Amino acid sequence: MKESISKPIQRVDGPAKISGEARYIGDMHFENRLYAKTLRSTRAKARILSVKKPPLPRNYFIVGKDDVPGVNRMRTVVSDHPIFAEDTVEYIGQPILLVVGPEREKIYDIITKIKVEYEDLPALFTLEDAEKNSEVFTDYHYEKGEPQRAFGEAATIVEDEFRTGYQEHVYLEPQGMTAEFRDDTMFVYGSMQCPFYAEGALTEALGWPAERIRVIQTVTGGAFGGKEEFPSLTACQVAVAALKTGRPVTMIYDRDEDIICSTKRHPSIVRYKAALNRNQDIVALEIDVLLDAGAYNGLSPVVLQRSMFSATGVYNFPHLKVRGRNFMTNNVPSGAYRGFGAPQTIFGTEMMLHNIALKLGIDPLEYKMRHALKRGDPTCTGGKIRDIVKLPEIVKRVTQMSGYHDKRKNGQKYHGIGISLFLHGCGFTGNGEQTIGSKIILKKEGEKVILKVSSTEMGQGAETVLRKIVAYTVDIPFENVIYESVDTGKVPDSGPTVASRTTMIVGGLLQQAGLELKDRWHEADKIEVTRTYRHPDYIDWNNDTFQGDAYPTYSWGANVAEVEIDPVTYEIDVKKISAVYDVGLPIDETALRGQMQGGIVQGIGWATIEVMKTDEGRLIQKNLTDYKVPTSMDVPEVECDFINNPYEFGPFGAKCAGELPFVGSPPAVAAAVSNALGVPIRSIPITPEMLMEMDSDEN
Amino acid sequence: MVKGFRPETLKEALKLRAQYDCLPIAGGTDLMVQKARGFALKPDFRKPLLFIGHLPELQRLEVINRQIHIGAGVILTDLLNSETIPDIFKEILALMASPPSRNLASIGGNICNASPAGDTLPYLYAMDAQVVLQSTDGERIIPIAGFITGPKQTDLKNSELLTKIIIPQTEFDINMYRKIGQRKGMSLTKAAFLGMANVADGKIQDIRIAFGSVAQTVVRSGKIEQSIVGKSTKDIVKNISEISRQYAALIRPIDDARSSAAYRKKVSLRLLEEFFVSNLAKVSNLRKAQSKGDIE
Ligand SMILES: Cc1cc2nc3c(=O)[nH]c(=O)nc-3n(C[C@H](O)[C@H](O)[C@H](O)COP(=O)(O)OP(=O)(O)OC[C@H]3O[C@@H](n4cnc5c(N)ncnc54)[C@H](O)[C@@H]3O)c2cc1C
Repeated sequence: MKESISKPIQRVDGPAKISGEARYIGDMHFENRLYAKTLRSTRAKARILSVKKPPLPRNYFIVGKDDVPGVNRMRTVVSDHPIFAEDTVEYIGQPILLVVGPEREKIYDIITKIKVEYEDLPALFTLEDAEKNSEVFTDYHYEKGEPQRAFGEAATIVEDEFRTGYQEHVYLEPQGMTAEFRDDTMFVYGSMQCPFYAEGALTEALGWPAERIRVIQTVTGGAFGGKEEFPSLTACQVAVAALKTGRPVTMIYDRDEDIICSTKRHPSIVRYKAALNRNQDIVALEIDVLLDAGAYNGLSPVVLQRSMFSATGVYNFPHLKVRGRNFMTNNVPSGAYRGFGAPQTIFGTEMMLHNIALKLGIDPLEYKMRHALKRGDPTCTGGKIRDIVKLPEIVKRVTQMSGYHDKRKNGQKYHGIGISLFLHGCGFTGNGEQTIGSKIILKKEGEKVILKVSSTEMGQGAETVLRKIVAYTVDIPFENVIYESVDTGKVPDSGPTVASRTTMIVGGLLQQAGLELKDRWHEADKIEVTRTYRHPDYIDWNNDTFQGDAYPTYSWGANVAEVEIDPVTYEIDVKKISAVYDVGLPIDETALRGQMQGGIVQGIGWATIEVMKTDEGRLIQKNLTDYKVPTSMDVPEVECDFINNPYEFGPFGAKCAGELPFVGSPPAVAAAVSNALGVPIRSIPITPEMLMEMDSDEN
Repeated sequence: MVKGFRPETLKEALKLRAQYDCLPIAGGTDLMVQKARGFALKPDFRKPLLFIGHLPELQRLEVINRQIHIGAGVILTDLLNSETIPDIFKEILALMASPPSRNLASIGGNICNASPAGDTLPYLYAMDAQVVLQSTDGERIIPIAGFITGPKQTDLKNSELLTKIIIPQTEFDINMYRKIGQRKGMSLTKAAFLGMANVADGKIQDIRIAFGSVAQTVVRSGKIEQSIVGKSTKDIVKNISEISRQYAALIRPIDDARSSAAYRKKVSLRLLEEFFVSNLAKVSNLRKAQSKGDIE
């Protein structure tokens, strides 16, 4: 017997990153290259009346909308974001044009001399205003059972509302991209999650076939969703500039620019109306999800879908009416961020149940478990929970680990304990996986196997995990599995590296191909095996009615948070998070623990530290002096365990894991704060400012 | 090009300072952030720089006649490692920035930057610290409260350098410091409170109270402190709302990206009460009990 695949090995990307040998886009040299800087809108919504440009020195260029040979739109789910602004600007920070040239100082000087004349237009800045004005980008609905009848028969009806704020990714490496036009081909290098998204966007911006475009991922210093769709925009911009100037063009943001213009987590309002029967159980639920998409819709419709399909959490509410809307505001566009809409509704649903339980005088955990999903139950969209549900085991383990019951019983003011239960749908939402149809290639060359996928290493350990899956499956040494560089000219499109899909979906395909390769190992010296993803046959999804299985399977978890609130200052000290997860089977326990710890801490940041607000479309916390993310000093004790529950179609039983921990910690922390002070929590981030006000209102 | 001078001695530095309109730079942890223009761009230095962080004359840390003399160039890490620095000051220093920043940041820089959120300032105010300002013409020694004239404003003359900070070598029996930031480390101060006192026979002998980050400069009132001295801790605790009211009139915080004026004010007064009710009262009760021999 081989050792379990869960046994950790050293991360392959670690040494080069630690020693400084890793070459990020900012470290790369291009002969004869030019730099680019973006002129951005200073208005939230305005008509551009004129752009007065100073005379340009030799070798300096201005690149704008008229230079885009193809379509001046960044291709994504809704291709509405102009690559360069046209007649109007819709948010502060929107790119209008690039100034390109050999020296950054001169570029900067030219930028400051360009005068844009604007005519301000009425703008919308908050979700409430957008709702009042019906500025809706997307309006989705789905139902389950007979909500109307159930509400008619309800013994009690309870309403509640929850809010969540912006979150900035703060990946260590800001956005950066270089384009080089040579051999009649556009080469684009950069820090990104999804090279084929960028390739798709480039085909439209340039009006060229994909064969003339090569997108090459460079070492990527963190992403968290922030390098999912956004790099498509900068890729198109530098490519247009490279085409116009005939020289390589590099554009790298500094932190302040990155914060001002890059996408963020969608601020949300989630409203609940719950119908309770005589036993106080929730029989029907109306959920209204409002997301601030910002000035362009982009991929927000899919974020909204995940938000809506995750809105019932780990629970089975017999009757449901769910509405979701993306609103247009003149704020910076929101976009992908770890959890992708699910954290907002999971937070709301967990706190809604918590608040009702407290009102009824029932222990929140007990109340939650009364509604918990079981195997065979319908999902919120009328699909089916097919796999074994180990939620009871998870809860048992996490309550033991944390001493939850005793600590709750012996609670004192200012010391709080709270629990969250959660799940995450694995892979793309709806028919995403089916539409993308990921392809992978395994190529035997002598003793070695070359692994060709478009999955990007961004610090999460994808390269280690995927190589490990192949090595274990084919039964060859790890060193003999070569990870082909992620270059759209060399690897097939195995889909974007998002949605916690890489290990389960791409890894699953690699395992299948690996098994075939192992069988045929002695056939020849060179063998190529390919695979294309198809959903398991039983999965049925209707993307028009939102009926069926929105996800092939789910990962599950429970967190217990312990907090202390300073009675004088109301500062929140998260002492400990106990966490138990069912992710099928860990492919590498150390890599997985890293993901869990990181996700937990990022969630604590969103829930307690990371305040980001706008004032008339202008970010108030616009640099790292004012916008704070947790440091190592803010990391609590984290105790983490896994309950194995292998998934039939995942490699070695693995399911999704990357986003799950993020989803879980915010509601656990909020429940603990609520427990510490005896007040309901209805919005995050929870700040000392807010708690002091609430507690003095109570007194 | 950014021009700069790197003198070898203080004397040379003062000469350059007299000769040129230049900008002193010690650790640069304030200046490099304030003058940054963006990635790969030169900082916005309009004047030539005068590097002083390395000057040996500014590195001294010594006790003379029961006064601690700290060279303006001494970095926070060295203060933290020194045996002459009182524990309460170390507690304050340990909550500033992060280890790498503390390896660069000088105490002189924190003072001359004169930020309302400067963390060494409440202590220096509370201790009646004096600053030594030198130029080729000589030196002046003035109290810190006179040196700092407003947010980011000091009485530093164009020809002068801050060379030394002089702090009386006094320690207090009762000390309480709280810094409230947005997170536990590497965070600028939303509000800070420092209370120090000596109590004997149930009576307050000396008391120093300073608030940081809640007004244009540090809030300290000699008048209120004097009115407390000589009173019993019991009386003070009874009278706490009156003291609180007096400080409330001096605390005038702002709303900004990091916190709200309302919170800053409220939390400052709550910390003040905490100091009297918990620290002072408790400690003096303990003392009383000890002197009666109730407690080992
Ligand atoms: C990440 C980070 C975290 C920080 N956290 C904190 C914190 O928690 N609390 C806090 O209070 N501050 C903090 N700061 C601010 C800063 O580190 C301190 O104010 C530090 O003490 C400044 O010292 P310096 O030597 O770096 O000053 P510099 O940047 O070199 O100078 C600051 C100012 O003082 C002038 N100056 C310096 N020395 C002299 C002198 N001898 N004579 C005349 N003028 C002089 C300079 O001209 C300049 O105007 C932080 C800064 C950073 C970058």
